[in-house]
Amino acid sequence: MEIGSFIKLQRVKQGMTQEELAEGIVSMSYLSKIENQRTEASPEVISMLCTRLGIELDSEKDITIKEKCEQWFNMLFEVNNKDEIIEKYIELNELMTMVRSDSLMMFEIHKIRYFLIMGELDNALEQINSLNEISGTFDSLHLFYWYKFKGNFATTNNEYNQAMRMYRLAEDKINQVNLSDSEIADLQYTIAVTHSKLLNTLEVIEYSNKAIDIFQKEYNFIRCAQCHILLGISYRRIKMYEKAIKHYNLARHLGELNKNNNIIQLTNQNLGYLYSAIGDSKEAIKHYRGAIDDEAVGLNERLIATTNLIKEYYKTHNFEKALEVIEKAKRLLDLAKNNVFYELYYYIIHSYIYAINDQYDQFTKLVIEDLIPYLKKHKDHGNLILFTNMLAKHFEQVGKYKDSVKYYKLANLTYEEIVNL
Amino acid sequence: MKKLIASLALGTLLVGGFLFAQDSQPSELAHGEAEPSVFNISSVSLVNVY
Repeated sequence: MEIGSFIKLQRVKQGMTQEELAEGIVSMSYLSKIENQRTEASPEVISMLCTRLGIELDSEKDITIKEKCEQWFNMLFEVNNKDEIIEKYIELNELMTMVRSDSLMMFEIHKIRYFLIMGELDNALEQINSLNEISGTFDSLHLFYWYKFKGNFATTNNEYNQAMRMYRLAEDKINQVNLSDSEIADLQYTIAVTHSKLLNTLEVIEYSNKAIDIFQKEYNFIRCAQCHILLGISYRRIKMYEKAIKHYNLARHLGELNKNNNIIQLTNQNLGYLYSAIGDSKEAIKHYRGAIDDEAVGLNERLIATTNLIKEYYKTHNFEKALEVIEKAKRLLDLAKNNVFYELYYYIIHSYIYAINDQYDQFTKLVIEDLIPYLKKHKDHGNLILFTNMLAKHFEQVGKYKDSVKYYKLANLTYEEIVNL
Repeated sequence: MKKLIASLALGTLLVGGFLFAQDSQPSELAHGEAEPSVFNISSVSLVNVY
Protein backbone atom coordinates (compact mmCIF):
# COMPACT_ATOMS: atom_id res chain seq x y z
CA MET A 1 0.00 0.00 0.00
CA GLU A 2 1.33 3.41 -0.98
CA ILE A 3 2.22 5.73 1.88
CA GLY A 4 -0.08 8.47 0.50
CA SER A 5 -3.14 6.22 0.53
CA PHE A 6 -2.14 4.97 3.95
CA ILE A 7 -1.98 8.50 5.38
CA LYS A 8 -5.32 9.37 3.80
CA LEU A 9 -6.95 6.23 5.18
CA GLN A 10 -5.66 6.86 8.70
CA ARG A 11 -6.65 10.53 8.58
CA VAL A 12 -10.19 9.71 7.39
CA LYS A 13 -10.49 6.95 10.02
CA GLN A 14 -9.50 9.39 12.78
CA GLY A 15 -11.92 12.02 11.50
CA MET A 16 -9.12 14.56 10.95
CA THR A 17 -9.26 17.21 8.23
CA GLN A 18 -6.36 17.81 5.84
CA GLU A 19 -5.89 21.21 7.48
CA GLU A 20 -5.52 19.71 10.96
CA LEU A 21 -3.02 17.11 9.82
CA ALA A 22 -0.93 19.45 7.68
CA GLU A 23 -0.74 22.34 10.14
CA GLY A 24 2.86 23.27 10.89
CA ILE A 25 4.26 20.39 8.79
CA VAL A 26 3.34 21.01 5.15
CA SER A 27 0.80 23.08 3.24
CA MET A 28 -2.67 21.66 2.77
CA SER A 29 -2.26 21.44 -1.00
CA TYR A 30 1.02 19.56 -0.59
CA LEU A 31 -0.65 17.07 1.78
CA SER A 32 -3.37 16.61 -0.78
CA LYS A 33 -0.71 15.80 -3.39
CA ILE A 34 0.97 13.29 -1.03
CA GLU A 35 -2.36 11.58 -0.30
CA ASN A 36 -3.24 11.33 -3.97
CA GLN A 37 0.25 10.10 -4.87
CA ARG A 38 1.01 13.01 -7.14
CA THR A 39 4.26 13.68 -5.31
CA GLU A 40 6.76 11.81 -3.16
CA ALA A 41 7.33 13.44 0.20
CA SER A 42 10.64 13.27 2.07
CA PRO A 43 10.99 10.63 4.83
CA GLU A 44 11.07 13.45 7.44
CA VAL A 45 7.68 14.78 6.33
CA ILE A 46 6.19 11.27 6.30
CA SER A 47 7.59 10.61 9.73
CA MET A 48 6.11 13.87 11.11
CA LEU A 49 2.70 13.16 9.58
CA CYS A 50 2.71 9.62 10.99
CA THR A 51 3.71 10.91 14.44
CA ARG A 52 0.76 13.32 14.38
CA LEU A 53 -1.50 10.42 13.43
CA GLY A 54 -0.01 8.46 16.35
CA ILE A 55 1.53 5.76 14.15
CA GLU A 56 4.94 4.08 14.33
CA LEU A 57 6.97 3.33 11.22
CA ASP A 58 8.59 0.01 11.98
CA SER A 59 9.28 -2.47 9.19
CA GLU A 60 10.08 -5.37 11.54
CA LYS A 61 6.75 -5.06 13.28
CA ASP A 62 5.10 -4.91 9.89
CA ILE A 63 6.33 -8.40 9.00
CA THR A 64 4.70 -9.78 12.16
CA ILE A 65 1.49 -7.91 11.39
CA LYS A 66 1.49 -9.29 7.87
CA GLU A 67 1.70 -12.85 9.18
CA LYS A 68 -1.02 -12.23 11.73
CA CYS A 69 -3.21 -10.73 9.02
CA GLU A 70 -2.73 -13.75 6.77
CA GLN A 71 -3.79 -16.02 9.64
CA TRP A 72 -6.86 -13.90 10.35
CA PHE A 73 -7.89 -13.72 6.68
CA ASN A 74 -7.74 -17.53 6.50
CA MET A 75 -9.83 -17.78 9.65
CA LEU A 76 -12.59 -15.83 7.93
CA PHE A 77 -12.87 -18.66 5.41
CA GLU A 78 -12.06 -21.76 7.42
CA VAL A 79 -12.95 -21.32 11.06
CA ASN A 80 -16.42 -21.40 12.51
CA ASN A 81 -15.37 -20.49 16.02
CA LYS A 82 -16.37 -16.85 16.26
CA ASP A 83 -14.52 -16.24 19.53
CA GLU A 84 -11.18 -17.06 17.92
CA ILE A 85 -11.91 -14.70 15.03
CA ILE A 86 -12.98 -11.88 17.37
CA GLU A 87 -9.89 -12.29 19.56
CA LYS A 88 -7.54 -12.04 16.60
CA TYR A 89 -9.52 -9.12 15.18
CA ILE A 90 -9.19 -7.07 18.38
CA GLU A 91 -5.46 -7.76 18.51
CA LEU A 92 -4.93 -6.72 14.89
CA ASN A 93 -7.14 -3.68 15.17
CA GLU A 94 -5.03 -2.37 18.05
CA LEU A 95 -1.77 -3.07 16.21
CA MET A 96 -2.99 -1.31 13.08
CA THR A 97 -3.69 1.93 14.90
CA MET A 98 -0.13 2.03 16.25
CA VAL A 99 2.09 0.76 13.46
CA ARG A 100 2.19 1.65 9.78
CA SER A 101 1.56 -1.58 7.92
CA ASP A 102 1.35 -2.50 4.25
CA SER A 103 -1.42 -4.92 5.20
CA LEU A 104 -3.70 -2.18 6.50
CA MET A 105 -5.78 -1.77 3.35
CA MET A 106 -6.27 -5.52 3.02
CA PHE A 107 -7.25 -5.64 6.68
CA GLU A 108 -9.79 -2.86 6.20
CA ILE A 109 -11.30 -4.66 3.19
CA HIS A 110 -11.51 -8.00 5.06
CA LYS A 111 -13.37 -6.25 7.86
CA ILE A 112 -16.41 -6.29 5.54
CA ARG A 113 -16.41 -10.10 5.54
CA TYR A 114 -15.71 -10.12 9.26
CA PHE A 115 -18.78 -7.97 10.02
CA LEU A 116 -20.90 -10.15 7.73
CA ILE A 117 -19.80 -13.34 9.50
CA MET A 118 -20.59 -11.70 12.83
CA GLY A 119 -24.04 -10.71 11.53
CA GLU A 120 -23.25 -7.00 11.97
CA LEU A 121 -24.78 -5.80 8.71
CA ASP A 122 -24.81 -2.12 9.66
CA ASN A 123 -21.11 -2.19 10.44
CA ALA A 124 -20.41 -3.97 7.16
CA LEU A 125 -22.30 -1.28 5.25
CA GLU A 126 -20.53 1.48 7.16
CA GLN A 127 -17.18 -0.12 6.32
CA ILE A 128 -18.12 -0.36 2.63
CA ASN A 129 -19.13 3.31 2.63
CA SER A 130 -15.95 4.46 4.35
CA LEU A 131 -13.78 2.44 1.94
CA ASN A 132 -15.70 3.73 -1.09
CA GLU A 133 -13.93 7.06 -0.66
CA ILE A 134 -10.48 5.50 -1.14
CA SER A 135 -11.39 2.63 -3.46
CA GLY A 136 -9.83 4.58 -6.35
CA THR A 137 -6.37 3.76 -4.94
CA PHE A 138 -6.98 -0.02 -4.74
CA ASP A 139 -4.68 -2.34 -6.69
CA SER A 140 -6.00 -5.45 -8.49
CA LEU A 141 -5.69 -7.72 -5.45
CA HIS A 142 -7.52 -5.22 -3.26
CA LEU A 143 -10.19 -4.94 -5.95
CA PHE A 144 -10.65 -8.72 -6.07
CA TYR A 145 -11.56 -8.87 -2.39
CA TRP A 146 -13.42 -5.54 -2.50
CA TYR A 147 -15.80 -6.84 -5.17
CA LYS A 148 -16.07 -10.27 -3.60
CA PHE A 149 -17.01 -8.95 -0.16
CA LYS A 150 -19.38 -6.37 -1.61
CA GLY A 151 -20.98 -9.36 -3.35
CA ASN A 152 -21.12 -11.18 0.00
CA PHE A 153 -22.90 -8.14 1.45
CA ALA A 154 -25.49 -8.23 -1.35
CA THR A 155 -25.89 -12.00 -0.87
CA THR A 156 -26.58 -11.47 2.83
CA ASN A 157 -29.27 -8.94 1.87
CA ASN A 158 -30.78 -11.45 -0.61
CA GLU A 159 -29.94 -9.12 -3.53
CA TYR A 160 -28.63 -11.83 -5.82
CA ASN A 161 -28.52 -9.85 -9.07
CA GLN A 162 -26.35 -7.21 -7.44
CA ALA A 163 -24.24 -9.95 -5.81
CA MET A 164 -23.70 -11.58 -9.19
CA ARG A 165 -22.52 -8.28 -10.71
CA MET A 166 -19.92 -7.97 -7.95
CA TYR A 167 -18.74 -11.57 -8.20
CA ARG A 168 -18.33 -11.15 -11.96
CA LEU A 169 -16.12 -8.11 -11.38
CA ALA A 170 -14.06 -10.12 -8.88
CA GLU A 171 -13.81 -12.96 -11.39
CA ASP A 172 -12.43 -10.53 -13.99
CA LYS A 173 -9.55 -9.77 -11.61
CA ILE A 174 -8.46 -13.41 -11.26
CA ASN A 175 -6.13 -13.24 -14.26
CA GLN A 176 -4.48 -10.04 -13.07
CA VAL A 177 -3.48 -11.24 -9.61
CA ASN A 178 -1.70 -14.16 -8.09
CA LEU A 179 -4.34 -16.08 -6.15
CA SER A 180 -4.23 -19.54 -4.61
CA ASP A 181 -6.39 -22.26 -6.15
CA SER A 182 -8.53 -22.40 -3.03
CA GLU A 183 -9.30 -18.67 -3.35
CA ILE A 184 -10.37 -19.17 -6.95
CA ALA A 185 -12.47 -22.21 -6.04
CA ASP A 186 -14.15 -20.28 -3.22
CA LEU A 187 -15.22 -17.57 -5.65
CA GLN A 188 -16.44 -20.18 -8.15
CA TYR A 189 -18.44 -21.87 -5.41
CA THR A 190 -19.90 -18.52 -4.35
CA ILE A 191 -20.89 -17.77 -7.95
CA ALA A 192 -22.50 -21.22 -8.20
CA VAL A 193 -24.59 -20.56 -5.07
CA THR A 194 -25.69 -17.20 -6.49
CA HIS A 195 -26.65 -18.72 -9.85
CA SER A 196 -28.66 -21.32 -7.97
CA LYS A 197 -30.55 -18.55 -6.15
CA LEU A 198 -31.25 -16.96 -9.54
CA LEU A 199 -32.34 -20.30 -11.03
CA ASN A 200 -29.58 -20.26 -13.68
CA THR A 201 -29.29 -24.04 -13.61
CA LEU A 202 -26.69 -24.67 -16.30
CA GLU A 203 -24.33 -22.08 -14.84
CA VAL A 204 -24.64 -23.71 -11.41
CA ILE A 205 -23.51 -27.02 -12.90
CA GLU A 206 -20.59 -25.37 -14.71
CA TYR A 207 -19.28 -23.44 -11.69
CA SER A 208 -19.88 -26.22 -9.16
CA ASN A 209 -17.91 -28.65 -11.30
CA LYS A 210 -15.04 -26.17 -11.67
CA ALA A 211 -14.94 -25.57 -7.91
CA ILE A 212 -15.29 -29.24 -6.97
CA ASP A 213 -12.19 -30.14 -9.02
CA ILE A 214 -10.08 -27.85 -6.86
CA PHE A 215 -11.76 -28.68 -3.55
CA GLN A 216 -11.11 -32.40 -4.16
CA LYS A 217 -7.42 -31.76 -4.76
CA GLU A 218 -7.25 -29.71 -1.58
CA TYR A 219 -9.19 -32.29 0.47
CA ASN A 220 -11.78 -29.66 1.39
CA PHE A 221 -14.62 -32.14 1.70
CA ILE A 222 -17.16 -29.86 3.30
CA ARG A 223 -17.02 -27.53 0.32
CA CYS A 224 -17.13 -30.64 -1.95
CA ALA A 225 -20.32 -31.69 -0.17
CA GLN A 226 -21.78 -28.20 -0.58
CA CYS A 227 -21.03 -28.36 -4.32
CA HIS A 228 -22.73 -31.78 -4.52
CA ILE A 229 -25.82 -30.24 -2.89
CA LEU A 230 -25.83 -27.46 -5.50
CA LEU A 231 -25.53 -30.08 -8.24
CA GLY A 232 -28.36 -32.06 -6.66
CA ILE A 233 -30.62 -29.00 -6.69
CA SER A 234 -29.72 -28.24 -10.32
CA TYR A 235 -30.30 -31.76 -11.62
CA ARG A 236 -33.61 -31.86 -9.74
CA ARG A 237 -34.62 -28.66 -11.50
CA ILE A 238 -33.94 -30.13 -14.92
CA LYS A 239 -35.73 -33.32 -13.83
CA MET A 240 -32.66 -35.59 -13.92
CA TYR A 241 -33.73 -37.13 -10.63
CA GLU A 242 -31.35 -40.09 -10.50
CA LYS A 243 -28.36 -37.84 -10.99
CA ALA A 244 -29.70 -35.44 -8.37
CA ILE A 245 -30.13 -38.26 -5.84
CA LYS A 246 -26.60 -39.47 -6.58
CA HIS A 247 -25.17 -36.02 -5.76
CA TYR A 248 -27.26 -35.68 -2.60
CA ASN A 249 -26.08 -39.10 -1.43
CA LEU A 250 -22.47 -38.12 -2.07
CA ALA A 251 -23.01 -34.93 -0.08
CA ARG A 252 -24.56 -36.85 2.80
CA HIS A 253 -21.76 -39.40 2.74
CA LEU A 254 -19.19 -36.60 3.04
CA GLY A 255 -21.24 -34.91 5.75
CA GLU A 256 -21.39 -38.13 7.78
CA LEU A 257 -17.69 -38.83 7.39
CA ASN A 258 -16.88 -35.33 8.59
CA LYS A 259 -19.59 -35.37 11.26
CA ASN A 260 -21.05 -32.19 9.83
CA ASN A 261 -24.69 -31.90 10.88
CA ASN A 262 -25.41 -28.93 8.64
CA ILE A 263 -24.53 -30.89 5.52
CA ILE A 264 -26.58 -33.91 6.61
CA GLN A 265 -29.57 -31.69 7.45
CA LEU A 266 -29.35 -29.79 4.19
CA THR A 267 -29.18 -33.03 2.22
CA ASN A 268 -32.23 -34.46 4.00
CA GLN A 269 -34.15 -31.25 3.42
CA ASN A 270 -33.38 -31.21 -0.30
CA LEU A 271 -33.93 -34.95 -0.77
CA GLY A 272 -37.30 -34.50 0.96
CA TYR A 273 -38.14 -31.76 -1.51
CA LEU A 274 -37.09 -33.92 -4.46
CA TYR A 275 -39.25 -36.86 -3.38
CA SER A 276 -42.15 -34.51 -2.72
CA ALA A 277 -41.76 -33.09 -6.24
CA ILE A 278 -41.95 -36.56 -7.81
CA GLY A 279 -44.95 -37.48 -5.66
CA ASP A 280 -43.23 -39.96 -3.34
CA SER A 281 -44.63 -38.63 -0.06
CA LYS A 282 -43.40 -41.55 2.01
CA GLU A 283 -39.76 -40.92 1.11
CA ALA A 284 -40.26 -37.15 1.34
CA ILE A 285 -41.61 -37.44 4.90
CA LYS A 286 -38.76 -39.77 5.88
CA HIS A 287 -36.16 -37.23 4.78
CA TYR A 288 -37.94 -34.20 6.21
CA ARG A 289 -38.15 -36.01 9.54
CA GLY A 290 -34.39 -36.52 9.40
CA ALA A 291 -33.98 -32.80 8.76
CA ILE A 292 -36.01 -31.54 11.72
CA ASP A 293 -34.81 -33.83 14.46
CA ASP A 294 -31.26 -32.56 14.72
CA GLU A 295 -31.13 -29.78 17.28
CA ALA A 296 -27.58 -28.89 16.44
CA VAL A 297 -28.48 -27.26 13.13
CA GLY A 298 -29.74 -23.74 12.56
CA LEU A 299 -33.24 -22.68 13.50
CA ASN A 300 -33.97 -21.38 10.02
CA GLU A 301 -33.07 -24.70 8.41
CA ARG A 302 -35.23 -26.61 10.90
CA LEU A 303 -38.14 -24.27 10.25
CA ILE A 304 -37.89 -24.81 6.48
CA ALA A 305 -37.92 -28.58 6.99
CA THR A 306 -40.77 -28.39 9.52
CA THR A 307 -43.04 -26.31 7.29
CA ASN A 308 -42.29 -28.65 4.39
CA LEU A 309 -43.20 -31.63 6.54
CA ILE A 310 -46.52 -30.01 7.50
CA LYS A 311 -47.21 -29.37 3.79
CA GLU A 312 -46.47 -33.01 2.96
CA TYR A 313 -48.74 -34.40 5.70
CA TYR A 314 -51.48 -31.98 4.64
CA LYS A 315 -51.08 -33.01 1.02
CA THR A 316 -51.53 -36.68 1.96
CA HIS A 317 -54.52 -35.81 4.25
CA ASN A 318 -52.66 -37.10 7.30
CA PHE A 319 -53.99 -34.26 9.49
CA GLU A 320 -53.25 -35.91 12.81
CA LYS A 321 -49.54 -36.12 12.03
CA ALA A 322 -49.63 -32.62 10.58
CA LEU A 323 -51.00 -31.26 13.87
CA GLU A 324 -48.26 -33.09 15.78
CA VAL A 325 -45.61 -31.39 13.65
CA ILE A 326 -47.41 -28.07 13.99
CA GLU A 327 -46.95 -28.27 17.78
CA LYS A 328 -43.23 -28.77 17.22
CA ALA A 329 -43.21 -25.92 14.72
CA LYS A 330 -44.86 -23.57 17.23
CA ARG A 331 -42.08 -24.25 19.73
CA LEU A 332 -39.45 -23.57 17.07
CA LEU A 333 -41.29 -20.40 16.09
CA ASP A 334 -41.13 -19.13 19.67
CA LEU A 335 -37.35 -19.45 19.53
CA ALA A 336 -37.14 -17.70 16.17
CA LYS A 337 -38.77 -14.35 16.94
CA ASN A 338 -35.77 -12.44 15.59
CA ASN A 339 -35.48 -14.52 12.43
CA VAL A 340 -35.91 -12.51 9.20
CA PHE A 341 -38.37 -15.11 7.93
CA TYR A 342 -40.36 -15.25 11.19
CA GLU A 343 -43.38 -13.57 9.59
CA LEU A 344 -43.42 -16.07 6.70
CA TYR A 345 -43.23 -19.13 8.94
CA TYR A 346 -45.82 -17.67 11.28
CA TYR A 347 -48.29 -17.15 8.43
CA ILE A 348 -47.66 -20.57 6.88
CA ILE A 349 -47.94 -22.50 10.11
CA HIS A 350 -51.11 -20.67 11.19
CA SER A 351 -52.69 -21.09 7.76
CA TYR A 352 -52.35 -24.86 8.18
CA ILE A 353 -53.68 -24.75 11.73
CA TYR A 354 -56.83 -22.93 10.54
CA ALA A 355 -57.21 -25.12 7.46
CA ILE A 356 -56.92 -28.40 9.38
CA ASN A 357 -59.25 -27.24 12.17
CA ASP A 358 -61.85 -26.03 9.65
CA GLN A 359 -61.54 -22.44 10.92
CA TYR A 360 -62.19 -21.12 7.45
CA ASP A 361 -62.91 -17.50 8.35
CA GLN A 362 -59.54 -17.15 10.05
CA PHE A 363 -57.89 -19.11 7.25
CA THR A 364 -59.19 -16.91 4.44
CA LYS A 365 -58.51 -13.72 6.44
CA LEU A 366 -54.89 -14.71 7.18
CA VAL A 367 -54.13 -15.91 3.67
CA ILE A 368 -55.76 -12.95 1.88
CA GLU A 369 -54.67 -10.15 4.18
CA ASP A 370 -51.23 -11.30 5.32
CA LEU A 371 -49.78 -14.31 3.55
CA ILE A 372 -50.51 -13.46 -0.10
CA PRO A 373 -49.29 -9.81 0.19
CA TYR A 374 -46.12 -11.08 1.94
CA LEU A 375 -45.43 -13.69 -0.74
CA LYS A 376 -46.09 -11.19 -3.55
CA LYS A 377 -43.75 -8.66 -1.96
CA HIS A 378 -40.96 -11.21 -1.57
CA LYS A 379 -41.61 -12.79 -4.96
CA ASP A 380 -41.95 -16.20 -3.35
CA HIS A 381 -43.68 -17.78 -6.32
CA GLY A 382 -43.60 -21.37 -5.08
CA ASN A 383 -45.53 -20.66 -1.89
CA LEU A 384 -47.78 -18.17 -3.68
CA ILE A 385 -49.00 -20.87 -6.08
CA LEU A 386 -49.50 -23.34 -3.25
CA PHE A 387 -51.57 -21.04 -1.03
CA THR A 388 -53.61 -19.33 -3.75
CA ASN A 389 -54.55 -22.81 -4.98
CA MET A 390 -55.50 -23.87 -1.46
CA LEU A 391 -57.63 -20.76 -1.07
CA ALA A 392 -59.25 -21.16 -4.49
CA LYS A 393 -60.07 -24.80 -3.75
CA HIS A 394 -61.68 -23.79 -0.46
CA PHE A 395 -63.85 -21.14 -2.18
CA GLU A 396 -64.83 -23.70 -4.81
CA GLN A 397 -65.93 -26.19 -2.15
CA VAL A 398 -68.14 -23.65 -0.41
CA GLY A 399 -69.63 -22.49 -3.71
CA LYS A 400 -68.01 -19.07 -3.85
CA TYR A 401 -67.08 -19.50 -7.49
CA LYS A 402 -66.26 -15.86 -8.20
CA ASP A 403 -63.61 -15.79 -5.45
CA SER A 404 -62.44 -19.22 -6.48
CA VAL A 405 -61.80 -18.12 -10.06
CA LYS A 406 -59.98 -15.01 -8.82
CA TYR A 407 -57.42 -17.06 -6.88
CA TYR A 408 -57.06 -19.84 -9.45
CA LYS A 409 -56.26 -17.06 -11.89
CA LEU A 410 -53.64 -15.62 -9.55
CA ALA A 411 -52.08 -19.08 -9.14
CA ASN A 412 -52.05 -19.50 -12.89
CA LEU A 413 -50.44 -16.12 -13.53
CA THR A 414 -47.77 -16.82 -10.91
CA TYR A 415 -47.08 -20.18 -12.50
CA GLU A 416 -46.61 -18.50 -15.87
CA GLU A 417 -44.19 -16.07 -14.27
CA ILE A 418 -42.08 -18.97 -12.98
CA VAL A 419 -42.10 -20.67 -16.37
CA ASN A 420 -40.92 -17.44 -17.99
CA LEU A 421 -38.03 -16.97 -15.58
CA MET B 1 -30.18 16.16 -35.48
CA LYS B 2 -33.74 14.95 -34.84
CA LYS B 3 -32.70 11.44 -35.82
CA LEU B 4 -29.82 11.59 -33.37
CA ILE B 5 -32.06 12.70 -30.52
CA ALA B 6 -34.64 10.07 -31.42
CA SER B 7 -32.05 7.30 -31.53
CA LEU B 8 -30.54 8.48 -28.24
CA ALA B 9 -33.96 8.46 -26.60
CA LEU B 10 -34.69 5.02 -27.99
CA GLY B 11 -31.31 3.74 -26.81
CA THR B 12 -31.92 5.09 -23.29
CA LEU B 13 -35.34 3.45 -23.20
CA LEU B 14 -33.91 0.12 -24.32
CA VAL B 15 -31.08 0.19 -21.78
CA GLY B 16 -33.53 1.27 -19.07
CA GLY B 17 -35.89 -1.52 -20.02
CA PHE B 18 -33.08 -4.06 -19.96
CA LEU B 19 -31.87 -2.91 -16.55
CA PHE B 20 -35.42 -2.98 -15.22
CA ALA B 21 -35.91 -6.50 -16.51
CA GLN B 22 -32.66 -7.56 -14.86
CA ASP B 23 -33.69 -6.12 -11.51
CA SER B 24 -37.20 -7.46 -11.75
CA GLN B 25 -35.94 -10.99 -11.37
CA PRO B 26 -37.04 -12.50 -8.08
CA SER B 27 -34.71 -11.53 -5.30
CA GLU B 28 -35.83 -14.19 -2.89
CA LEU B 29 -37.28 -17.52 -3.78
CA ALA B 30 -38.28 -19.72 -0.91
CA HIS B 31 -39.13 -22.78 -2.94
CA GLY B 32 -38.42 -25.35 -0.29
CA GLU B 33 -34.95 -26.20 -1.52
CA ALA B 34 -32.09 -24.77 0.46
CA GLU B 35 -28.68 -23.82 -0.89
CA PRO B 36 -25.59 -24.11 1.30
CA SER B 37 -24.13 -20.92 2.75
CA VAL B 38 -21.42 -18.91 1.01
CA PHE B 39 -19.77 -18.35 4.38
CA ASN B 40 -19.37 -21.19 6.82
CA ILE B 41 -17.57 -24.37 6.04
CA SER B 42 -16.63 -26.20 9.20
CA SER B 43 -14.27 -26.33 12.09
CA VAL B 44 -14.52 -30.12 12.16
CA SER B 45 -11.36 -31.96 11.12
CA LEU B 46 -11.47 -33.32 7.62
CA VAL B 47 -11.22 -36.97 6.64
CA ASN B 48 -9.69 -38.20 3.42
CA VAL B 49 -12.28 -40.28 1.61
CA TYR B 50 -11.16 -40.16 -2.00
